[in-house]
Amino acid sequence: MNKQRIIEIVGAHAAEVLPNLADHRFADDDRLQDLGANSVDRAEILNMVLDSLSLAIPRVELFGPRNIGELADLLLRKLQSA
Amino acid sequence: MQVGIEAMNVFGGTAFLDVGRLAEHRRLDTTRFENLLMKEKTVALPCEDAITFGVNAARPIVDALSDAERDRIELLITCSESGIDFGKSMSTYIHHYLKLNRNCRLFEIKQACYSGTAGFQMAVSFILSQASPGAKALVVATDISRMIAVSGGEALTEDWSFAEPSSGAGAVAMLVGEEPEVFQVDVGANGYYGYEVMDTCRPVADSEAGDADLSLLSYLDCCENAFLEYRRRVRDAHYRESFQYLTFHTPFGGMVKGAHRTMMRKMAGATPREIEDDFQQRVTPGMSYCQRVGNIMGGTVFMSLAGTIDRGDYTDGPRRIGCFSYGSGCCSEFYSGVVTREGQEKQRQFNIVGELDRRWTMSMQEYDAMLRDNEVVRFGTRNVSLQQHWDLVASKRTSERPHLYLRQIREFHREYEWTE
Repeated sequence: MNKQRIIEIVGAHAAEVLPNLADHRFADDDRLQDLGANSVDRAEILNMVLDSLSLAIPRVELFGPRNIGELADLLLRKLQSA
Repeated sequence: MQVGIEAMNVFGGTAFLDVGRLAEHRRLDTTRFENLLMKEKTVALPCEDAITFGVNAARPIVDALSDAERDRIELLITCSESGIDFGKSMSTYIHHYLKLNRNCRLFEIKQACYSGTAGFQMAVSFILSQASPGAKALVVATDISRMIAVSGGEALTEDWSFAEPSSGAGAVAMLVGEEPEVFQVDVGANGYYGYEVMDTCRPVADSEAGDADLSLLSYLDCCENAFLEYRRRVRDAHYRESFQYLTFHTPFGGMVKGAHRTMMRKMAGATPREIEDDFQQRVTPGMSYCQRVGNIMGGTVFMSLAGTIDRGDYTDGPRRIGCFSYGSGCCSEFYSGVVTREGQEKQRQFNIVGELDRRWTMSMQEYDAMLRDNEVVRFGTRNVSLQQHWDLVASKRTSERPHLYLRQIREFHREYEWTE
């Protein structure tokens, strides 16, 4: 697992929740909010990402990242310490 | 022995706002607004505070009691994050205007939107303790939002735009005792779960602050962990099979839908189609009043319960309801109880929906003007007259029930008056 792969997973789930993102190329500095995801959408995307990564951690530990790149970094650290 | 709710009433205010129009008025991004399942919200008028809401919710319950029954109310708990004094509890005012027996414990409980459940569970414990056999408890969960947001800082208000459309005002009053016709508690079936988190709060008077994302994540963590603790205590409990209805603390409908989806996927392995059907069947009855009043914080989970009792189908026998309560900060609980057709009939006498229909529709202009006027009854107001507002409300209201409104504050003491 690496950062790029995590960004792809986040992007795939974001597109599941927001079908208009199907053709979007996700980059480090993309922000889910700017892509049209409201707070309920963002929580749903995080849920799906945690399931895909089989990561069992409190969701509140994923609070803080300001863009998808930072989120991927955080998830990678959580995976490595799991 | 049995314990639970003998009677319950919701007071959803005097005036309301169409939330879709508010979102347009505030130029919120409305493309995905429908998914949030918000319809209307009650607006607290300048002559309304958490005390008037609480009294107006409780009075029909008290009026239906005999003198002897009323005199057995020995515990009155207000549950709120909208208090009017750091020391004096709102329960003292509510006790006075309801003319209750003076041999009664009066105090207030705070833990954000969990407060109603906290008060309810304390009342249940008091009845179960049998320290005063035959006694009753009156629990009043009451909150308003003045919608004066704390200005953004480093960690605050990332996406606070749903706060205004979702924040309502209202109260739920519950009579708790040994004859729980309306909602019989499953004693000992409680999964509680809490920890320190800074998601949403009221760090200064009359204002709210927080982060919607963190709050939502914490809500989901608690939804899962509170139920897991319930299941540890109640052998064979199953998220899909054990409860015919589910009620949730409902900040707004979309949040509940997300939580239900997550729980059904994780606890029951359900497919998206099954989840949608289950949501319509078990959850939407409880959202009926919440979608019309907005988030009333401490009382919201009970407003959802009232909707479930009024709208559910109990013709084929008793039904078990699972309740999830969450209060930022945070503490949460999953618990359950049983409702019967007789209980539904008794509960429907309060005609909650009829009273909601009687609220007046506020225009955006009236609402904006009202927000300015609310400045005069900020926390700590020493002297103010609300005569004009009182007169206006008395002339505009259409309910046939007597309602209490704030008339003036004199040297910090609040003076209220009934409309008749």
